Amino acid sequence: MSSKPQALASTGPMRAFASNSKKVATELLEINQSLMEFNKFLTEYYKQLTETWNEAQKKVSLKAPDVPQDVEQIEAFKRIWIDIFDNDFTELFDSKKFGENYGKLVSKELELTKHWNNITNVILQSANLPSKEEIDEVYKELHALKKRVIKLEIELKKKKVIEKK
Amino acid sequence: MKSETAIDPKIMEEIIRFNKNVLNAPKMVAAPDEITLEVTPHDIVQQVDKTRLLHYKPLTEKQQKTPLLISYALINRYHILDIHPEKSWVRNLLQQGFDVYMMDWGTPTAMDKYLDFDDYINGYLDGAVEYIKNESSVEKISLQGYCTGATLATAYTSLHPESVKNYIATAPVIDGWRDTTVVSNLAKNMDVDKMVDTIGNMPPEFMYYCFSVLKPFEQGIEKYVNFFKNIDNKRFVDNFLRVEKWLSDTPPIPGELFKQWIRDIYQDNLLIQNKMYVNNNHIDLKKIDMPVFTQVAVGDHLVSPECSMPLHYAVGSEDKTLRMYPTGHVGMIASSLSQKKVLPELGQWLLERS
Repeated sequence: MSSKPQALASTGPMRAFASNSKKVATELLEINQSLMEFNKFLTEYYKQLTETWNEAQKKVSLKAPDVPQDVEQIEAFKRIWIDIFDNDFTELFDSKKFGENYGKLVSKELELTKHWNNITNVILQSANLPSKEEIDEVYKELHALKKRVIKLEIELKKKKVIEKK
Repeated sequence: MKSETAIDPKIMEEIIRFNKNVLNAPKMVAAPDEITLEVTPHDIVQQVDKTRLLHYKPLTEKQQKTPLLISYALINRYHILDIHPEKSWVRNLLQQGFDVYMMDWGTPTAMDKYLDFDDYINGYLDGAVEYIKNESSVEKISLQGYCTGATLATAYTSLHPESVKNYIATAPVIDGWRDTTVVSNLAKNMDVDKMVDTIGNMPPEFMYYCFSVLKPFEQGIEKYVNFFKNIDNKRFVDNFLRVEKWLSDTPPIPGELFKQWIRDIYQDNLLIQNKMYVNNNHIDLKKIDMPVFTQVAVGDHLVSPECSMPLHYAVGSEDKTLRMYPTGHVGMIASSLSQKKVLPELGQWLLERS
């Protein structure tokens, strides 16, 4: 008993947390790496938006150089502004460069979420609660069971029909 | 001497009026929870998990023998097909004498993340069709799919042609590679496996992002400017709020279903190539041999006509009709044009085949 003092704390909340603390540290380091990459794609995202905005504004200035003086002119100016901005931004959102960068941005965001989930799992385990993966396993099992029950119900129905005949 | 920077008094009047309308809006406009989107009376005749089957009460003495089941999209809710008495798709069909049912896919929760195409097609949709067949004592029903609901309905019709008398595809998502919309560009570049593995179901917030990049200035600025300008117009405000409430309410999409939808339709484009499988069952569009009516909106910026039209050419049916309408994705189902043109044509087509 005296040779294994750590066993004394085996049911306490800190034991599991302490044994997994290395994992938390690793996750935090990886979060930093993911965050740097996330910021890279986020910067590119806003760069693309800003460049498109500036280009669209230039087009508006060329098409409607005069300051609108009455209500009708303001309406016409607004129409030009909206049409040019919608066209240019739709062209951007439709483009390969936007699609690729946006895909990578979301992917990095998901990696951050994954790290956060991993850290949360360590905390959950220290509180003797099921992890996300364990709950997912239950959902998966439930889904498979439901399918099996439906299949059995259909077979039972068919059997009853045959018996009636 | 007149100053060059003098402001037209009418502009000032407009600005003051607009500001006044913005300030008065909370007093003049109903809160979203005060608006009921369910317009036409109906019964909930079947509930399986979170899905519901709605059966609308008839509005005519006599009804067509073949009932019609509408498979609504996975995005937003079925209310758009019954958004306003004057623009209701469902009410119009009831007035034409059709017996109308609607699939409400419900609101999936975290525990539904493993629901897939098979559950939706061979489970929920097939369960609804079987219920209707029994209830109406018919061998076959008419099936209509809208948007992503038409992707499901197309796959269902291919797998169960013996249950479908007529198939109507309204703005169906079919050929992902031909789709020229922003949504398709985002979908093609999505790491869908990572998304579903990490967050489970497709969150509504992601869909709101997708909506926000569709005509961002028309939809994000002009629409609201018009709303405040027309705040005295009760009819305009009522319509606006109904559509806004509908737009802001989209349920999550089950993870596995979303994964298969993005991968098989947008990324690998399997459906139109007759290479898609649902639970080892081959989806062959040539097996769709009953009368098919495809409705496409020329100005659709959610599902481009190029994405929908290939269905017309891919099905095995000899009795097939393709109609194109000068409107948008929502305009085709909930507008005065849909009431005056789209629905009468659909009604006539169905009438001849019911």
